[in-house]
Amino acid sequence: MVDHSGYRDPDSTEIRSATRYLWWLITSQGRQVALAAVLGTVWMVGLTLPPYVLSKAIDDGMGPGRFGSLLTWVLILLAVGVFDAGVSIWRHRTLTKVRMDAAFRTVRALVEQSTRLGGALDRKVTAGEVATIGIGDVWVISMSLTVVGPGVGAVVAYFVVAGLLLSISSVLAVIVLLGAPLVAVLVGPLLGRLRTVGTVYREQQGDLTTRMVDIVEGLRVLNGIGGKDMYAQRYRHDSQRLRAEGFRVGAVSSWIPALGVGLPLVFLAVVTWVAARMAAAHTISIGDLVAVYGFVAVLVVPVAEFIENCSYLSQSVVSARRVIAVLGVRPDKQAGGAAPDGPAELCDPCSGVDVAAGRLTALAANRPEDAAEVVDRLGAFQASDATWGGIPLRDIDISHIRDRILVADNEADIFTGTVREVIGGRFDPADPAIERALHVAAAEDIVDGLPARLASTVAPQARDLSGGQRQRIRLVRALLAEPEVLLATEPTSAVDAHTEATIAARLTAERAGRTTLLTTTSPLLLDRADVVHYLVAGKVAATGTHRDLLVSDPGYRALVSRGLDDDTAATG
Amino acid sequence: MTDQHLPVAAPGDARRAAVRVVRQDGRVFGVTVGLNALATVAGLVGPWLLGQIINTVENGGAVGTIDRLALLILLCALVQLVLTRYARYIGARFGEQASARIRELFLGRVLRLPASVVERISTGDLTTRGTGDVTTVASTLRGAIPDVLVGAVQSVFILAAVFVVNPLLGACGVVGLLGIWFANRWYLRRARSAYLDLGAANSVLAEVLVSTAHGARTVEALGLQERRIQATVDAIEQCRRHRMRALSLRTVLFPTIDISYFLPLVGVLLVGGALYDNGAISLGAVVTSALYLRQLSGPLEIIELWIDLLQSCAASFARLEGLTQLRVTEPAVDVAPADDRIEVSGVHYAYTSGRDVLHGVDLDIRPGERLAIVGPSGAGKSTLGRLLAGIDHPRVGAVTVGGVAVADLPPDQLRRQIVLVTQEYHVFHDSIRHNLLVAKPSATDAELHAALDAVGARWLAELPDGLDTELGGKGYRLDSGRAQQLALCRVVLADPHTLVLDEATAMLDPTTARNTERALSAVLAGRTVVAIAHRLHTAHDAHRVAVLADGRLTETGTHDELLAVDGAYADLWRSWHSEGRHGSRPTTG
Repeated sequence: MVDHSGYRDPDSTEIRSATRYLWWLITSQGRQVALAAVLGTVWMVGLTLPPYVLSKAIDDGMGPGRFGSLLTWVLILLAVGVFDAGVSIWRHRTLTKVRMDAAFRTVRALVEQSTRLGGALDRKVTAGEVATIGIGDVWVISMSLTVVGPGVGAVVAYFVVAGLLLSISSVLAVIVLLGAPLVAVLVGPLLGRLRTVGTVYREQQGDLTTRMVDIVEGLRVLNGIGGKDMYAQRYRHDSQRLRAEGFRVGAVSSWIPALGVGLPLVFLAVVTWVAARMAAAHTISIGDLVAVYGFVAVLVVPVAEFIENCSYLSQSVVSARRVIAVLGVRPDKQAGGAAPDGPAELCDPCSGVDVAAGRLTALAANRPEDAAEVVDRLGAFQASDATWGGIPLRDIDISHIRDRILVADNEADIFTGTVREVIGGRFDPADPAIERALHVAAAEDIVDGLPARLASTVAPQARDLSGGQRQRIRLVRALLAEPEVLLATEPTSAVDAHTEATIAARLTAERAGRTTLLTTTSPLLLDRADVVHYLVAGKVAATGTHRDLLVSDPGYRALVSRGLDDDTAATG
Repeated sequence: MTDQHLPVAAPGDARRAAVRVVRQDGRVFGVTVGLNALATVAGLVGPWLLGQIINTVENGGAVGTIDRLALLILLCALVQLVLTRYARYIGARFGEQASARIRELFLGRVLRLPASVVERISTGDLTTRGTGDVTTVASTLRGAIPDVLVGAVQSVFILAAVFVVNPLLGACGVVGLLGIWFANRWYLRRARSAYLDLGAANSVLAEVLVSTAHGARTVEALGLQERRIQATVDAIEQCRRHRMRALSLRTVLFPTIDISYFLPLVGVLLVGGALYDNGAISLGAVVTSALYLRQLSGPLEIIELWIDLLQSCAASFARLEGLTQLRVTEPAVDVAPADDRIEVSGVHYAYTSGRDVLHGVDLDIRPGERLAIVGPSGAGKSTLGRLLAGIDHPRVGAVTVGGVAVADLPPDQLRRQIVLVTQEYHVFHDSIRHNLLVAKPSATDAELHAALDAVGARWLAELPDGLDTELGGKGYRLDSGRAQQLALCRVVLADPHTLVLDEATAMLDPTTARNTERALSAVLAGRTVVAIAHRLHTAHDAHRVAVLADGRLTETGTHDELLAVDGAYADLWRSWHSEGRHGSRPTTG
């Protein structure tokens, strides 16, 4: 089970290198791994049993009047077969669990790291990198854990075969033992070369995937404006380029299984030759000759497995490097200071914005990114000199800030789930609270329009809702969190004027007496604010009520009226 | 608008499609099989030669003969090594070629999806198929297919070889292996659904991870850490359950295969022993047959190894093929519109059957006019806009331009008639030039510059690479205002006589919106414009206003006429306008 598996501690050593990370994946499921290693070994060594029994059956069972003996050996052979099959499936089941554990542990560590980094993640790693890991690298790494079973088994089996041969002839044992270094010398450089061409291939494959996503996302443009032929051609061009690269990879990778199968056969030929001469000289029996052939033929499996596992491992080191690049990111330095005891004023000296406790403040910026920056600073998503009740935010324990100050971004993510889960956030609000928040955000119609109301499932990012609906859902979520301080950017930019007016009225009533900052340029919201800051080039240029500013500041008037003056002039 | 799930191809259809793919590369496929066959033959010569050696030793033959035979074994091993390599290489090429073909075919199908389908399906699912499933099929074609092919060819040849040595022993082999056939049938009948579920569970897990990473800021802001971890734990549990289910199927299949492979050996030894007793067969023949059958373990194990991947591949392939079941654009009518007149007559439309959102809308749009469509949220404004832009057919009634149904026009015809401009715009991860050429592939650089000037995109001059500047991803990032200008520039290049604007500037911040509106007016000049508006000043500037409420057209007329009528529009206007006028009152009055 995942729950008691205990995951990566942020200060642990296993993220210092890719190999340590892989080692951690192995050691954190020690018992299963040990079982896999034992089963892998037993299975692999067990492969030598059938040739032994077979040789006995031929030596003792073939010939006039030996049918009883033959029958005994054949029954033993069958028993060995059943035993091998049992060990084999047990091994496969154990390995499947080991691989699963590694994959899930990695996914979980990545999710935990994402939640730990929070807003800092974007600055340090792109979500795309995490996505690549989640879709590909996780499974590459998990595959490489196969090494703990057949990988270990292969090495042991190799020596067991050598040992068995020793019982027949020491010369033959030495020949087989000398084979191992030869395999390493031949295959090692090939694996390195494969990694190089494989990296180029994966990069191009990534580019092609990006292009596919790009086309799917731009389908509406392609349908409405055209360009399908052009993009079909460009995709085909990239696809063919990848194909050509794939041929280059194939030229190298095809040698690996060929050597895996072929090299042991070459040994087999050499060993058989030597053994046949011995048999001819009656140094060994014909049964021994068959046994030697069988034992060495068995080596095909461990050698091929070993080479394959090395190939997995070499790929997974690259993948593990990508994983630890994300896991190794340190969250911003955390302070541990106390927060103000009760509602207090927020100040951003950089822009000159202050947000009085218990009041509704609005921020109208001529550049919306400036307003977003102010919110980032006041919400402690960015290091700054902003203060809360006179205490610098950077000195306050971040968990106190997050508990009491809520930053509601216009583009905040919506995770898939039922409507109730989406709007409930981390809380489990009661139905009356939900209905009330829906009412404030004028979002009842959205919920009523869904087949199962609050129990309906919303797609990732609420793609199945319109822009205006998404925005209202986000607002409901923010309201239900009932934060002491609410900092919301452009909460109504995508709804129509009617709905906006409704929300403006209800929102002000709902937040009365609590600290709220809205960034907006809508006169409907601005008119409701206790105080409005007009931000020019990131600095407060004027402060007052909406109506005062309309009179006193032509720049502000131009910003918020959006062509209204022209209308007035025309009708006036 | 509900997400429509994309269909998945039925097993039979998927199989036929797979056969088609193989056929297209029939020659390469044949060569792969041939080389594998030769490699297998080379592998079979070894045990046969060993049998000869044993016979030679038994009969006290010369060492020279043994040496010759042994040297041949060595040669065979080397030949097998080289042949295997080339078989693999050609197999990999086949896989690479086939996966290129499959992904290009898939893209072609995606591009042929009609706009109405594109609007309603989940892009997420389409993206997953275009990325994850394409990759799975490709890697299987590259790795598993050649391997399994090798295995299958080897198995057949090994059995054939035993037949050659002794038909009776060969028959023993075939009978012994029958169990595998039954086990496979049992397995395949269940595996498909198990692996489809597993694929879906994998997608969910990937989605949880990606969305958490993407939304890390939101997670922090809302304190959703534990919820996300719980969602991950749940997704992992789902994934684990489906994996264990697939594993339980393999737990039946694998031991059956493993044990089945001993049965032919047992049969050959018993029958062979009896025949040898009677002198009907040489000891060498029995040994050779037994060793041949021993060799079956290799190929059977390889098939076992890949059966997992083959199943996921089959599931992925079925998902890729599923796209063929969607209605694709028929080669549209070859009739060019007679004129620029757009007529909407008796239009009903429903997203889900039984729930019409438009109830019998009639509207004539005169060439050159500016028509504003207003009304409360959910009145059907955007739906009407989509029908006007030819994204979908109405359920009942018709939307025509110059007498031809708009939705029947092929894209390159449609874009010269009517273009829909929305607040959603897409910037391709591509150069600025290619981002623009979609609208007019034949455009010269001069035309592109002129179009960019027309929408006021003077920032182009600041970019060192000019039109060749790469956008998106690792390239240059356009802010929303510039991206919108780029979208409008495409419209200028497409040069339609009619534009449908659906809140084209609503999501933009006011300053950008103002720039965009300026750019827009350059684009609008000389065209028919249908503007779907939340903000009423758009309506005020229009030649004519159409009011939509509850899917019905309730009022049409000029701004002043509608104010005079004092109906719904006048209400809307007053409620909106009085809000804004508070402030302007001191200046005007």
